[in-house]
Amino acid sequence: MKRRQGWLFFIIFLLTLSVYLLINYPLQLGLDLQGGSQLTLQIIKEEGKVRRDELEAVNSVIDKRVNNLGVSESNLQTLGGDQLILELPGEQNPLVASRVLGKTALLEFRTQKKGTSTDLKTLQLQRLTIKELIEQYSFEEKSQNDNNLNFIQDDLKDIEQELNYSSNSSDLYGKLIEIKKYVDREITNLFIKTDLSGKDLINAGRRQEQTNNNWEVLLTFSNSGGEKFAEITKSIAGTNQLLAIILDGESISEASVGNQFAGTGITGGSATISGNFSAENARELEVQLKGGSLPLPIEIVETNTIGALLGSKNILKSLYAAISGLIFVGIFMIYNYRILGFVSVLSLVLYGFFNLAIYSLIPVTLTLPGISGLILSIGMAVDANILIFERIREELYDGNTLTRSIDSGFQRANSSIVDGHITTLLSCFVLFLLGTNFVKGFAATLGIGVLISLFTSLNCSKNILRFFTTYQSLRQKNLYLPRNNF
Amino acid sequence: MKYNLELIKNKRKIIGFSSVLILLSLLGILYSTFNTSYKKPINLGMDFVGGNELRIERICKEECSNFSPDSVLENLRENSKNKNLLNNIKLQSQNNNKLISIRTPYLTIEESNNLINILDNIIGPLNYESKDSRLIGPKLGKRLLTNCITSLLVSLLAISLYITIRFDQKYALFALLALFHDLFIVFGIFSWLGIILSVEVNSLFAVSLLTIAGYSVNDTVVIFDRIRENLKSKKESYNETIQLSVNESFRRTTFTSITTLIPLLSIILFGSYSLFWFSLALSLGIIIGSYSSILLAPSLLLKD
Repeated sequence: MKRRQGWLFFIIFLLTLSVYLLINYPLQLGLDLQGGSQLTLQIIKEEGKVRRDELEAVNSVIDKRVNNLGVSESNLQTLGGDQLILELPGEQNPLVASRVLGKTALLEFRTQKKGTSTDLKTLQLQRLTIKELIEQYSFEEKSQNDNNLNFIQDDLKDIEQELNYSSNSSDLYGKLIEIKKYVDREITNLFIKTDLSGKDLINAGRRQEQTNNNWEVLLTFSNSGGEKFAEITKSIAGTNQLLAIILDGESISEASVGNQFAGTGITGGSATISGNFSAENARELEVQLKGGSLPLPIEIVETNTIGALLGSKNILKSLYAAISGLIFVGIFMIYNYRILGFVSVLSLVLYGFFNLAIYSLIPVTLTLPGISGLILSIGMAVDANILIFERIREELYDGNTLTRSIDSGFQRANSSIVDGHITTLLSCFVLFLLGTNFVKGFAATLGIGVLISLFTSLNCSKNILRFFTTYQSLRQKNLYLPRNNF
Repeated sequence: MKYNLELIKNKRKIIGFSSVLILLSLLGILYSTFNTSYKKPINLGMDFVGGNELRIERICKEECSNFSPDSVLENLRENSKNKNLLNNIKLQSQNNNKLISIRTPYLTIEESNNLINILDNIIGPLNYESKDSRLIGPKLGKRLLTNCITSLLVSLLAISLYITIRFDQKYALFALLALFHDLFIVFGIFSWLGIILSVEVNSLFAVSLLTIAGYSVNDTVVIFDRIRENLKSKKESYNETIQLSVNESFRRTTFTSITTLIPLLSIILFGSYSLFWFSLALSLGIIIGSYSSILLAPSLLLKD
C-alpha cells in the first residue's frame, strides 16, 4: 500500500513540475502561429556534395549578414546537408532579407588591360543607354503606350547590332536585362584580376555624399589589404588604366588613380565606392561586405509568410479543436466506462500537461502540424485505456473481484499495448529523419505523445484507479459496468 | 460478447466489397494519369511542383464589393512585367468576396510583392496581417517529392519487417495486404478528389498516409493477437475461433477508432484550413483501416 501511495505522490510531483515548467519556460510558437517569414536557402554546388565545412562557412556568413541587418529574434538553422532555414518572426518584410542574403557578394578589385580605353568608353556608353531604356520601360509600362514601347525596341536593336549579340529572351523586359548583363560581362572582361578581394576587408560602412543625395560605401582594409591596395593603385597611377571594383561579376565602379599617387600608391588602408547608391542599396552592400562573400552561391527556394493576425487566429482555432476533441473524447469514455472513463479523462489531462512540459523542456517549437499531431495523439492515448478497460470488463463478467479484475486487466493488456504502438513510433521515426521542417513538427509531437501515453495510460491510470478503489463507496461493480445487458 | 458479426457467411461479400473499392481506386488513378491536364496518378500540389500561393483578406467596411475575377486577372496581367508567368494565374474569392486566394507559377519575393501591390490597387485595401503567402521553387518541389516517396517506402519496409518478425508468414502477409488495401483506397479517393474537385495533395498528405499505415497495422495486430491467443485455448473450429476473436475485439477496435476520429473531426470543424484535407485523409484512413482490420484481414484468414 505504501508503495502505491508513493507512485501517486510521484505523479502529483510530476504535475506540479510540469505546471512550473510551463509557467517559467513558455512554449515556443512556430511562425504559422505567431506570424512571420521563413526562408529556405539552398546551397548551389555544380559538382559533388556540399561538404560539412562549406555548409558551416555559408552558415556563418549568412548569420553575420542577418545580424548586421538588425532583425530581431531571427533564427537560422541548417537542414539536411545543403539547406539553411531562416526564420524572421513578426511583421518583417522578407524582401530586404532575400535581397541581402541571396547575393554571393564576391568583391574584386581589377585593373584595366592596357590599350582598351576606347572599348571601355563605348561599353560604358552602351551600359548607360541600356539603364535608361530599362527605366523608360518601367515608366512606359504603366501608360501602356505601344508607340513608346516600339521606340525602346528599336533602340535595343541598335545596341544589339553594335554589340554583335542578339538576346534570346522572348519578352522585351527579359531582353533588356539580358543585354545589360552581357554589357556588364564585357566590361568586366576588360579588367585583370588582382590579389585584392573582399577577403582583405575588415569593415564596411556607408555615408551620404556631400554634393548630392547619393550614398557611398566605405571600405576599410586589413593591414595586408591596405598594402596590396597601395601597390595596385601605384601600378596604374597616372596612366589611363582604370581601377574597377567588381561585385558578383558586375563592375560597380571604375575610377582613375591620379598621378600624385605614382610614388606610394593610395595609402591609409581605406577606399570609397561611389556608384550612385540609394540609401537602401548602400545599406544592403554594407551588410553583404561586412558578412564577407559566400563560399558557394545560394538560392532562395522557399518563402512562407504568415500575417500576425492569421497566426493568432490559428492558435485560437487549434485551441478550440484541441479542447473540443478532449471534451468529446471525455464524454465518450465516461458514457461507456463510467468510473474507468473518468480515470482515463484524468490521465488524459495529466497527459496534456506532461506533453506540453516536455515541449517547453526540449524545446519543441509548436507549429500547426505539431498541434495536429498532439490532438491526434489524444485519441491514441485513450487507445491503451480502452484495451485495458475491455480486459477489466471481461474479468468482471467472469465473476472476478474488482481488485483482481483491475490488476489482471492492466497486466494482460500490457504487451499488446506496447506492441501496437511500435508501428506508430516507427512511422514517426522515419518521418522525423526524412521529413521537412514542417513534417518534423508533426512527427515529434506524435512520437512524444505516444511515448508519454504509455506512461499515463498504464502507470497513471492504474494508480489513480487504485486510489479510487480504496474508498468503499466507489467499489460497487455497477459503477464499472454501465449497461446491465452486457 | 453481444456482438455477432457473421464473418464466415459473409466472406465473399467482404472480399467483393474490398475488390470493388480497389478497382474504383485503380480507375481513378488511371483516369488521373492519362486523362487529366496534370497527367499524374494524383493531383500534385504546390509542395511538389513549386509555385506561389497567396491568401489575403480585404478590408471592407460592411460588405465586400463584388468583383469579377476575370477582370482582376486582366488588370494584373496588364500591370505586371512578367507576362509569361501570369498566363497560368488562378484567382478565387471566398467568404463573400472577403478572402482572396491566388495561385501562380513560381515567383520571386519581389515579383510576389509587386503582385500584391497591384492587387491592393485594384480591390484593396488589403489586410496584410491576414496574409498567408507561400513561394516554393520548382527544384525544392522535386526534392520534397522524392523525400516523401522515400519516407513512405522506408517506413512501409520497416513496418513489413516488424510484422514478418512478429507473426508467422500467413498472418504477416494478410496484415500487409490489409495495410496496402487501406493506403491504396485513400490514395484512390484523393485521385478522384483531384479529378472532380481539383483537390491537390501536399507533403501533409504523405504524412497522413504514413500515420494511417502505423495506425492500421496497430489495429490488425491487436485482432491477430487475439486470434492466436484463442486458437491455443478454445475448442471451437478454426473458422469459428477467428469469428469469435473478431467479435471479442470488435468493441475495442471501433471504440479506439471513434476516440481517434473525434479529435480529427474537431480539427476538420474548428481547426485551421491548412489542416482540413490532412485531417480528412486521416479520418478516411482510420475508417477504412478499422474496416479492413475487423472484416477484411480476418476474412482472408478463413479457410474455405
